[in-house]
Amino acid sequence: MAVDSASSNSTGPVRMSRRDTTRAQGIRRFKWAVLAPFLGVMGFILVPALLLQAYFSLFQFSIFDAGDNDSFMAYFEASEWVGLDLYEAVFTDSAFGAAIIRSLAFAIGSTVGCFVIGFALALLMYRPFRGQGIYYVFFIIPMLTVPIVIAYTGEMVFYQAGPLNDIASRLLGRPVELQLLYDQQTALFTVMLMEIWNWTPFSFIILMAGLSALPKEPQEAAMILGANKWRIFWEVQLPLLRPVILLALILRFLEAMAEFPKTWGLLQGGPGSASETIPIYIFINAWQFFDISYGAALSYVVLLMMVAIVLSAIWLLRREKTSLDAMYAAKPQEG
Amino acid sequence: MAMNKTQRQTAWSAFRYVMLTFWLLVVIFPLFWMVSTSFKPDREWFASPPVYWSSNATLENYKVVWADYNEYTTDETTKNLGTYAASLQRPWTALGNSLTISLISTGLAVLFGAVLAYGVSRYRILSETRMFQLLMLRMVPPIVLIAPISLWYRQLGLLDTMTGLVILYFLTSMPYAVWMSKSFIDEVPREMEQAAEILGASRLRTILEIVLPLVRSGLVATFLFILILTWSEYLLALLLSKSEVLTLPVELSKYQGSTEGRVYGRQAALSVGITLPLIVIGIFIRKHLARGFSFGMVRR
Repeated sequence: MAVDSASSNSTGPVRMSRRDTTRAQGIRRFKWAVLAPFLGVMGFILVPALLLQAYFSLFQFSIFDAGDNDSFMAYFEASEWVGLDLYEAVFTDSAFGAAIIRSLAFAIGSTVGCFVIGFALALLMYRPFRGQGIYYVFFIIPMLTVPIVIAYTGEMVFYQAGPLNDIASRLLGRPVELQLLYDQQTALFTVMLMEIWNWTPFSFIILMAGLSALPKEPQEAAMILGANKWRIFWEVQLPLLRPVILLALILRFLEAMAEFPKTWGLLQGGPGSASETIPIYIFINAWQFFDISYGAALSYVVLLMMVAIVLSAIWLLRREKTSLDAMYAAKPQEG
Repeated sequence: MAMNKTQRQTAWSAFRYVMLTFWLLVVIFPLFWMVSTSFKPDREWFASPPVYWSSNATLENYKVVWADYNEYTTDETTKNLGTYAASLQRPWTALGNSLTISLISTGLAVLFGAVLAYGVSRYRILSETRMFQLLMLRMVPPIVLIAPISLWYRQLGLLDTMTGLVILYFLTSMPYAVWMSKSFIDEVPREMEQAAEILGASRLRTILEIVLPLVRSGLVATFLFILILTWSEYLLALLLSKSEVLTLPVELSKYQGSTEGRVYGRQAALSVGITLPLIVIGIFIRKHLARGFSFGMVRR
């Protein structure tokens, strides 16, 4: 591989000239100067928060012991050592188990929904046609709309005497009075529809960018060899598109696992507990019941779970990026 | 009977327009409903059958929400609104908060992110592993840390302050800021910098006069992209502010907080105000949106 001599020899050669040494020092100084504010914030905010969380997950905080004393230290005085009891409680908490299942269903449903619609739109649109620009502009708008606005507007649309029921009634010729948001069976599903509406543009734009950027040569070669369009799609385009597809799926899934504004803004976990997803369940415990300790134990379990998911996602993405890099690095030599 | 090529193309084209137009309707309808509701007088908010476009269209909702704030307590038909008027700030204050917080945090993130990205692009000051680890800041749901952060913030005196939110938005915006600006910086050919150096230009001068002009529009796109995300953020803004620093999304959610009846028209009028700037910005940078999300996976 060609090494760019001017810029990347700082770590390379065995014997470094004086100039190179000062250069390497300069780069190191530059690196830490740039990273300082960022690392500072991490160390000053995130690390203490993680430690506090660990503390309260091992020491049961009681709001009754704290009483009216609202100072920072009072939180510690009102906590007593319980060891891993809270973690045990988390693992035997059936409501938490239900929340995980709801979150997974919500995330998978919205990921698949966004992907299928987004991919279909991208396939319909990636070749130029009259009106392409206009459709594109409109199709990205949902992504630009504030989630909480979507939630409340969605409520207006799904409202019992709202337009959706009205249109359905007119089409079917009989009165339709669905209350999708107030029915335990359909509430979370309805939020999922809003989530799909909200984030389909995300899948759409990256898949469309991916499709438009696909190298033409392999497709032309396959065509010359007599492959039909289906075969070209399945055996040439789709494999080349795999990194982008993975990215669309993974990012969407992770964002959907963390979805909060719509679920909370509309349903606050209800009706019953039908919309208690993981974020909502943590929120209810830590902020509504003010059970900081249980919230902390829950959060740690979720944190570890999500870190595991994210690390495998990153591993997958990296593998794809490495193969992409290799492909594009090899390209100029062919031509 | 098999269709010939022209017929197939016409059929395909028709199919495409039908499908795209269907989705266009799905996309537009909720937005249309929001705008239409914002012009409805209050007796039409819940009318059955619903009113699609009011024949008595009025600007009252906008006036009440954005201008005659005190109308809340005097308006005859919506008298009960007075009770939650107390918990509301003027939207202009919320707008000011939102603007200040998102502009400052986005500005900082893009400034540091771009410099960091330059270092990564030219000197590899962060390995690829570190670059991917950076993404964790964005991918792990914030809800898992928000309670201890709130406790810690209270101790630091950062709870319910703009600084507190700016710090966290700065942190959560960094991954996008670094990755997106790096994708623009990577496109600047190194030969240009080397040439400038050979001609005796200093490092700083090379960056300011060669690199910066070439990536300026990319950095503007990065800035606006992150601005959109920060402006819409709800969870942190809700939980780390009590009464002093409400942002617009939180302000909007206060309207929903009451069980005394919904105020669709007012919500819609506020929603239009919150959303419109983002849509304008987003359309403006539409060509770069894919890049923001694609982390180097989409090549050109």
